[in-house]
Amino acid sequence: MPEHLPLDSARDVELGAALREALAMPFGGAFVNRLRARLSRNRPRSWDEELAGWFWQGLVAAVLVTVLAGWGLSRSAAVADESDTGITSVASQLLEGSTPGTNVLLASMTSTETP
Amino acid sequence: MTGVDEANLAGRAGKGDAEAFGALIELHQAMARRVAYAILEDREDADDAAQEGFLSAWKAIARYDPNKAFRPWLMQIVVNAARDLRRRRRVRAAEPLDKISPAARDDPAREAGDLDLGERLRAALATLPERQRLAVVLFDAEGYAQAEIAALLGIPEGTVKSDVFHGRRALRRVLSTVKEEWDA
Repeated sequence: MPEHLPLDSARDVELGAALREALAMPFGGAFVNRLRARLSRNRPRSWDEELAGWFWQGLVAAVLVTVLAGWGLSRSAAVADESDTGITSVASQLLEGSTPGTNVLLASMTSTETP
Repeated sequence: MTGVDEANLAGRAGKGDAEAFGALIELHQAMARRVAYAILEDREDADDAAQEGFLSAWKAIARYDPNKAFRPWLMQIVVNAARDLRRRRRVRAAEPLDKISPAARDDPAREAGDLDLGERLRAALATLPERQRLAVVLFDAEGYAQAEIAALLGIPEGTVKSDVFHGRRALRRVLSTVKEEWDA
């Protein structure tokens, strides 16, 4: 057998043939038939089938986004209402002749001091 | 079968033609199973991995670029499937190459007795690190270019050359010993 150099890029034909024989696997026909039968069950999906496969996940995500957006909008509206309530209640309480509580006074002072 | 036929089959398979992909399986099953066997060292596992590889390739066939060679693309998927299976079945990998005798594994070149050349070569392969084993099998047995093997295994071409050299040394020793016995 010829001695090959470390960086020899030529194939060792004899060794290659011996390796193919040593690693040969039996029942090639049965293997192919088994796989062919599985191909139809594992068919690659077309783009519209792929899209249809994501329909329910997409629907759930859209509903979640809508709910979250609605909750966020209502929450910001509620915060705006709360800040308005502080000012109007001081005026209304003074007009009614009653003494506003310290928390209402503090709230109105801080809102009027803000530039 | 010519390269043109293979490109044609791969193109048809890419459009969902199961018959064309079946023909590609027929064409490449022997090579895919040999390479999987070289990685997994067990025939049943090798068949499972090759099957898994072909099915993964079938599912991903729309992503195959018909301007590139089909064989390295397929082989990359089969090698990945075999390596994944090896990771999942490390316990079974403790009994490599279909339970080769410890004597043959210790010194495959000098092991005398009933072992034939195939058994001795498999025993010698089992002594090599997986990367060397793959490099020498893909290069000498399956005819891949060193650059293709480098891309397939994700290593530099120089490393492939070195792996092929070291892998061959152990395997050639077995071949020479068997030849000497035949000549005697």
